[in-house]
Amino acid sequence: MPPSLIRDLSDTSGYWAAVWTMCALPDVHLIADAPVGCFNLVATAVPDYTDAVPHIANITPATITEQEVGGKGTSDKVRWTYENLRASGALDGKQTIVISTAESEMIGADLSSVAATLGEGTRFYWSNSLSEDEWAGRDRVLRWLWEHFGAPRAIGVNPAPGTVNIIGPTYGCYNSPSDLEEVRRLITGAGGRLNLVYPMEATLADTPRLAAAQVNVVLYREFGAGMAAAIGQPVLYAPFGMRETTAFVRELGRLLGTSAQAEAFIAEEKRTTLRAVWDLWRGPQGDWFGTTDVGIVAGRSYAEGLTRYLGDELGMKIAFVSARPRRPDDPDNDAIRQTLHRRAPAFVFGSINEKIYLAEAGAKFVRFMPAAFPGPTVRRAVGTPFMGYRGAVYVIQEIVNGLYETLFNFLPVDQAYSAMRGGPPKIDAAPGNLPWQLEAKAILDDALEQMPYIPRISASRQLQMQVEALARERGLKEISPELVREALGRAR
Amino acid sequence: MEPITLSAGQPEGHVCKLHPQSMCPAFGSLRILSRIEGSHPVMATDTGCLYGLTFVTHFYGARKSILAPTLGSAELYAGEIVEGTRAAIEAAAQEPGCQLVPVVSLCVAETAGMPEELLPRKVGDAEVVLVRVPAYAIHSHPEAKDVALEALLRRLGDREGALEARTAVVVGEVFPGDQLAIDGILRRMGVEATIALPGRSVHDLRRAGRAAALAPLHPFYKGTTRLYREWGVPVAGGAPVGISGSYAWLKTIGALLELDPELVTQVAEEERDRAQAVVAAKSLKGARVLVTGYEGTELAYARLLTEAGAEVPYVSTSIGTDPLVLPDELWLKARGTRDVVYRKALEEDMAALDRYAPDFVLGTTPFAAAAKERGIPAMYFTNQLASRPFFLSGGMAATIGFVAETLERGVRYREMREFFAE
Repeated sequence: MPPSLIRDLSDTSGYWAAVWTMCALPDVHLIADAPVGCFNLVATAVPDYTDAVPHIANITPATITEQEVGGKGTSDKVRWTYENLRASGALDGKQTIVISTAESEMIGADLSSVAATLGEGTRFYWSNSLSEDEWAGRDRVLRWLWEHFGAPRAIGVNPAPGTVNIIGPTYGCYNSPSDLEEVRRLITGAGGRLNLVYPMEATLADTPRLAAAQVNVVLYREFGAGMAAAIGQPVLYAPFGMRETTAFVRELGRLLGTSAQAEAFIAEEKRTTLRAVWDLWRGPQGDWFGTTDVGIVAGRSYAEGLTRYLGDELGMKIAFVSARPRRPDDPDNDAIRQTLHRRAPAFVFGSINEKIYLAEAGAKFVRFMPAAFPGPTVRRAVGTPFMGYRGAVYVIQEIVNGLYETLFNFLPVDQAYSAMRGGPPKIDAAPGNLPWQLEAKAILDDALEQMPYIPRISASRQLQMQVEALARERGLKEISPELVREALGRAR
Repeated sequence: MEPITLSAGQPEGHVCKLHPQSMCPAFGSLRILSRIEGSHPVMATDTGCLYGLTFVTHFYGARKSILAPTLGSAELYAGEIVEGTRAAIEAAAQEPGCQLVPVVSLCVAETAGMPEELLPRKVGDAEVVLVRVPAYAIHSHPEAKDVALEALLRRLGDREGALEARTAVVVGEVFPGDQLAIDGILRRMGVEATIALPGRSVHDLRRAGRAAALAPLHPFYKGTTRLYREWGVPVAGGAPVGISGSYAWLKTIGALLELDPELVTQVAEEERDRAQAVVAAKSLKGARVLVTGYEGTELAYARLLTEAGAEVPYVSTSIGTDPLVLPDELWLKARGTRDVVYRKALEEDMAALDRYAPDFVLGTTPFAAAAKERGIPAMYFTNQLASRPFFLSGGMAATIGFVAETLERGVRYREMREFFAE
């Protein structure tokens, strides 16, 4: 079998998953058995641009150097770090957890026994970073937290009627503040009361209290189900689109015994929040949905949720879908890249990888909508959900705004202004068409065929004018295939 | 690669170095390698590392797709590192216009072993250059820039062609306008051309082997400096920073390239007059500034601010001490700087914040955030410096203007803190 290659990795490792999950709990302090880079990237450089936090404070590296790699091992460094942290007071009231990294695993540093000799209760977490991706990693660390810090202390804790947990998000979950806010609103609307949002709004000491909820809502299909199953109450997944959200609210009402309230909420939402979808559907915007195609690359919840909402409910054409983690038939980044280079759909939901592939292809007619990490985006305002009823409105609002933007970019602007800036060649007033050789016309048609549907009308006129302007500049009497190829190359 | 020893011990009377401050060292190399036209890097590492470094490369480096072999436990334990890396090299070389495939070998791959002799030196038209930057041995991201540049020059530097007298290689990532300003003033002194590295073109790397002098603008290009010394090409110390620094540097370049001494003195003096006029027009007198980035350029920055009238009691950086940086350290200490800290940790910067009560802080993101939490104007050194001129009198004016403006906005920092404290 040929070696497997990675192009622009989309999913990080179990180490990142564990740091981003455990550090969300303020009463945890991690000691990372890590070289400086594994500390900086996960705790500062990347969360600066994913979660918009200056840095994650409750993690300290043992700072592996060549001495440790060269045979000394890391246990002395970890012990030194622990002792100095303790002396500084940073560990007061904290659960200390020592965590392995790819490099410490590479040199075989299993510090279970070392951790046991540090301060009382210090634990070691093997992040399995050479094998596990971030999704499996988050699921496993959540189970581990429940197993060690929840279940043993949850004996005698019973579910209180009407209460609900949300499991997820951690750091590094795209757009989670908005989605969390919306799911919380749906739960309250259905008649439920929030028990815990774990881990993001909880403490480690809260962990046993997870047992006190009647229902667990798992925010993501990618991870969290393992913990929910171990807790043992009924589980629902956060919904996308109108139909699924309605089913979610209804089912939650049934589980909580608040069906009347849930039905009233659904009816009220149709009159208020969702009215925007109904208005857009009945308006001219709705006509575009069936003629606009979409590519989706995102976490599994987003990928499947957007596919169901945009594809099944609104009838948009789904050009391709690739979930994170990738499902068996999903295209990998190589295949996505080739598709985007060849013919990109009108809208691409994705990460910075897809944005780069579109830039490589010069696909300026395609609207890119960030929908996943990696890639820098601030998503801290709570008004941009993809989940729930508000998500259903937000997503199509942004699609319609994207179409407006595309249209705007194709409306003619008086050439006097672009000439003023030394813009494209001047097109003489009413020049009349030049004759096109058949093959030349075919090349233009081909180029237009690659373009999203909506801008095609304006684009066809614009490209035609550009080709003919070039011909006039050269004093040609006829449009040849070579000339069209050249002009299209310039138009990029 | 020369390993750098870090002490795990704790020097007495110092705060504990618990949180070292550097971007992942390897990023320094990726940044310059990804920005070269026709360069398609291959990274040999684990997925966590790959994710983080690709993330920051796509933020700060280039809009460039990055290939890597899958190196999980299965591949590592089966010893398939070389096989996978070779396959990735082959794939990268297929990219349109590929001229260079830098193989960036990181912690895990270096620990497992990446034998250079088993990698191709060339695939088609593309040169394959191995760059070893394990974070555990490089320690800071500026130094990884040097590691990458040295590796590129060793392979690509043209030592066969005729020497280009009066041509200098000017090394250091600088604001694009600075590059033009430096080139302009050197031409006025009689220099025929400057080659700016690390740059965007493989051609510049080849040509750099024929240059008559090396001028590293930043003090961490020690491997590159070593290489030029091996080649017998003279190296100019210092950098065109501030009043005295610019004057001395221009004279040095003039001497190394054997330019007309009268003309050189005339140009250097004119530049010195301009720099003095800049300070006369706007001084930073009375402002106390801490300069605490991790770019390796902090001492030069502190030097400029000091000449501009500011008090800079504390300077810290991620790089290690080195003869190249010593002149700036001595200069600063002779003019009131109390502490110059190499391989710094957050704890040292925090202690300085307590000790010196500064009016302005240039720092890493955690440290700048800590200063803002106290209502002190602070900025992330890396981002702010990359976006404005710094060298010669023009850079001095821009830098003084920037610091002065920030100080004037100081009340906002206090108001914001008060708002969130209420």
